This record gives sequence, C-alpha cells and structure tokens, in this order.
Amino acid sequence: MLNTAGLSLDQAPPIGVPFAFFLTAPLFAVAAGGLLLWQGELILISRWTPPALVVTHLIALGFLTQIMCGALLQMLPVLAGSPVPRVVLVGRATQVLLILGTLSLSAGLLWGGAAWLTLGGGSLMAGLMIFATATGIALTRARGVRRTVVAMRLALVALLVTLLLGVLLVVVLLGGWRLSGFVDWVNLHLAWGLLGWTGMLIMGVGYQVVPMFHVTPAYPDWLMRWAAPLVAVALTVASALMATGQGAAATGWMGLGALCFVVFAGVSLDRQRRRERPRLDATLLYWRSAMISALLAAALWLAGGRAELVGVLVLIGVGIGLPSGMLFKIVPFLSWFHLQHRQVATRRFDVRVPHMHTFIPEAPARIQFGVYLVALLALVAAAALPAFDVAPGVGKSLARLGGFALVLSSGFLWFLLARSFWRFRGFGL
Amino acid sequence: MITAITDSFTQDHHRCDHLLAATEASVGSGDWSAIDAAATALVDAMNRHFALEEDVVFPALARVFRVAENPIEIMCSEHAQMRQLFEELGESVAMCDKTAVLGLLETLHFLVQQHNYKEEGVLYPMADGALPEQAAEMAALLNQV
Ligand code: HEM
Ligand SMILES: [Fe+2]
Ligand SMILES: [Fe+2]
Repeated sequence: MLNTAGLSLDQAPPIGVPFAFFLTAPLFAVAAGGLLLWQGELILISRWTPPALVVTHLIALGFLTQIMCGALLQMLPVLAGSPVPRVVLVGRATQVLLILGTLSLSAGLLWGGAAWLTLGGGSLMAGLMIFATATGIALTRARGVRRTVVAMRLALVALLVTLLLGVLLVVVLLGGWRLSGFVDWVNLHLAWGLLGWTGMLIMGVGYQVVPMFHVTPAYPDWLMRWAAPLVAVALTVASALMATGQGAAATGWMGLGALCFVVFAGVSLDRQRRRERPRLDATLLYWRSAMISALLAAALWLAGGRAELVGVLVLIGVGIGLPSGMLFKIVPFLSWFHLQHRQVATRRFDVRVPHMHTFIPEAPARIQFGVYLVALLALVAAAALPAFDVAPGVGKSLARLGGFALVLSSGFLWFLLARSFWRFRGFGL
Repeated sequence: MITAITDSFTQDHHRCDHLLAATEASVGSGDWSAIDAAATALVDAMNRHFALEEDVVFPALARVFRVAENPIEIMCSEHAQMRQLFEELGESVAMCDKTAVLGLLETLHFLVQQHNYKEEGVLYPMADGALPEQAAEMAALLNQV
C-alpha cells in the first residue's frame, strides 16, 4: 500500500502549534542566562549546586525539549508521512504541562520545596506522556524514510526512560525512596536525556536535513543503519548494569554510546564541508559549532575532564546551538509556506508573498550567532578555569559575561522569531 | 521491481539541485551576466522537468491509477508556485538585486526539496508500479536534449 498521507498541507498542524513552542523556548534560555549572570561562578564550580541543576533543566527541558516537541509535531506528517492525532489538543496540553513542570521543577531544585518538586515531576510526567503517546501512535504508522523513523522511535523511548529516571530522582530527593549510588543514577538519567532523547533525534533529523539544507552527499548507509540503534543498545546495557550495582562497567557502555555520536558529528562536519550551496549561513555556523562542541565534550569526558565543562559544551554548545540554527530555517519556511497556501486557497494572486529572507534576514541571524558564540566561549573558558590556577576574579567575570551574552543572544533569537511571526500575521492574506 | 522512473527523475532532481547551488555560487562573484546565465540554466532545466511530469508521467499515471489524482493535483499546484518564484527570480536578476535573488533562491530551494521528497517517496514509486511497460521509455525522455 502506498502512503499518500503527508502530501498536503492539510495534514500539517496549524502554524500556531509549532510556533507557540518555538516562541516560548527562547525565554527559557533567557532565564538560564539570567541565572548564569547572577550566580555564574557558583554554577560553574560544581554541577551539584542548586542553580546549576536549574540552569540544566531550563535549557534541557524549557529550551531544547520544547523546541524538539514543537518540531516533531510539525515534521512527522512531512518526514514520516504520518500526522499526529488530535494535534492541536496534544500540542497545547504538552506545552502547558511542559512549561508548568519545568518552572516548578526549577523552583523545587532551587529552593528545595517538596510541593514544587512534586508539582514539577507530576506535570512533566503528564505532559511528556501525552506527547509520547500521540507521537508514538504517529510513529508506529509512519512509513517514511526508515532510518529516520527508527531513530525517532528510539529517541521517543529514550525520552520516556529519561522521564521515568527523572521522576525516580525526584522521589528520592523527596525522601520517598533510598537509592544507593545516587550519582550513578543521575548520570544514567542524563545519559538517556542527552545521548538518547537529544542525540538520537538529532541523528534522525540530521540524516534528512543535512543533505537537504545545503546539498551535501548523503550520510553513509552503515552510519544511518547502526548509529542510533547502537546508542540505544549501549544505554540499555548501561542501565541493566547500573540496576545490578555495576556502576563502573555501566560508564564504559555509556562511552560506547558517546562514541557513536562522535562518529555522527565527524561525518556531519565532513558532509557539510563537501556541500554545494556555498553560503555560510547562520544555520551552518550553528551546526558547525554544535558538532565541534559535541566532539570536544566527548573527548573531554573520555579523558576524565571537568564535568561542568562537559556540561557547558553539551547543553549550551549543542542544546542551545543546534535548535537555534534549525529555527532560522524552519520558521521562515513555515511562514512562507503557510502564506503561500493561503494565497492559493483565497485565490489572491494579486498579492506577492515575500520570500524567506524577508521573514528572517541573513545579516541579523549571523549577528545573533556572533553574540551566542561570545556566550559559549566565555562560559567554556569560565568552566575550564578552575582546572588552572588563576585569580578567582577572572572566572567570575567570565561567567558573568557569558551569562549576559546568553541573555542577549536568546532575547535576540526570540525577537527575530517573533518578528517573523508578526510579519506572517500582519500580511494581508 | 521496476525503479526506472524513480531513479531517473530523482537523478534529474539532483541535477537541478546542482544548478541551484551553482546559481547561488555565481551570486558571490557579482558578475550579473554570469548570474543571469546560471539562473536561466536552472529555470530551463526545471521547466523541462515539470513539462515531462505534467505532460507525460502524471497523465499516464492518472489514467491507470485513480487514487493518484489528488497527489498529482498537489504536485502540479506546487509546480505553479515554483513557476511564480522563477518569474520573481528573473525580475530580481534583471534589477541586479542581490538580496532578493538570494532570498528567492533559498525559498525555491526549500519548496523544491519538500516537493521532491514527496515525489521520490510517493509519486514516482507509484508510477513505476502502475506503468511497468512505459517506465523505461519515460526515463529515457530525460536524457534527450
Ligand atoms: C522529564 C522530566 C525530568 C525530571 C523530573 C528531571 C529531574 C532531575 C533530577 C531530580 C535531577 C537530579 C537533581 C539532584 O541531583 O539534585 C536531574 C539531573 C539531571 N537532569 Fe533531569 N529531569 C528531567 C528531564 C531531563 C531531561 C529531558 C534532560 C536532558 C535532556 C535532563 C538532564 C539532566 C541532567 C544533565 C542532570 C544532571 C545535572 C547535574 O548533574 O548537574 N533532565 N534531573
Ligand atoms: Fe514535480
Ligand atoms: Fe520532479
């Protein structure tokens, strides 16, 4: 049976659904930057300080997961030929609960209130379960490109495992359960969240968009076939070892998962170097900085480097960078495409739909990347400093500078996205 | 399984991708006669591709396979959108407006990619399946200059 679903725009969700996710996410990055500006030196001294845990989740859930959810709802009908059931309802419910959950969890981690932690864990559980159920249904029906669909399915399972482990950690923090080797369990949780949910989704989406965006050679088939499933196997074995009290062996298997992503990152950089579209646009700059950050993070982690530095590279280098770069393409295209569709539907051929760069011009997008890069470099330097013997004042100033630049760049990202949406809305069609 | 139409038309898509990339590369040079030549080559190649689809492949497919009518209609309306962009591209090249040329090429590129994705994934395999005797012949049409 040939699959004709996803051919028409009627299958795609109303533009307001993904845009609500995309427009809210940068505000969480602004908040993370604000916290770094305020308490940066404390955050970068230890991953276990309360504000560090909050910054982590503001980025991982408020920014990254929010954008990934919005993008999946938008992309599934097109990439996998399978619309998400009740997409408006699912989108709104997911988003409200994700926002509520992220804010409450942050409050709970920062001030230690049991009520906040409970509300946070509960809302995240509800919101992400709704999301995973609806997209899970769409993905079981999906008949698109197999490698991408497989990676997306695995990523969704990883989201559920991350969620369950996160809730388990909350229960432990609330004193409801005693768990030996708490740190190992946190590490397992973050491995499923970062390598699993984020990493495998980046792979699945990358197989499609890297060749498409910049006209590069396709990814090699062996990579597309093995990378995501191997990550899933590595994480599963690591979890089993952890559950049976073999924390050290588990870490080794996580390393295997990280190596799979290293290969993916290296191949991605190579594909993009061999691209045919010559322009160095903001999306490409973001892909490069993100893949380089991922490579550095993996090398550092394998060499036993500072966890805080690895965290900055993964969360800010990849977690903020890559989605930002993708939004610079997705948002203008969606704006243009929906306007175009409306023009056809209303037969208003007297008006001319403005091209994509009218929605987000190239120059401000590059400037936004520049400000972001200042934030990334300053925070990387600040997180690396404690390993060296320098005056404490230097680290503090760098952390503040990084936080300030992150507030600016995320605010600027929000402005560019919002302006694109206003232009879309303001267009007389 | 016959894949003649899928293979040859997909290859022609890639040929058009290369021409679009070449047009973008030429914009960097600032030589407007070279830009004009590159844009014309791109538009000609794409128009020829659309003509083969609209005049040969799609009508034959619609005759034997009624369910294809709806997707074909969508493909043709996207061709119309792309032709609209060709026209605007021509005007911007004539006015030596670099910003508009780059913005239009970017828009065209994205529209083309999602259009081709659907043809390569759905329409062409459908045509190969429904028109096994004519597939090779249709594929050969692409190679006639
Ligand atoms: C889905 C609901 C989630 C909940 C309820 C949750 C909860 C938690 C909790 C309670 C901790 C440990 C806090 C402590 O040790 O005091 C933690 C750590 C962590 N979580 Fe989550 N989390 C969730 C989702 C995620 C996601 C999706 C990601 C990544 C994409 C993530 C990344 C991390 C990281 C990296 C840490 C370690 C932070 C550090 O060691 O500095 N979490 N999480
Ligand atoms: Fe076509
Ligand atoms: Fe085509």
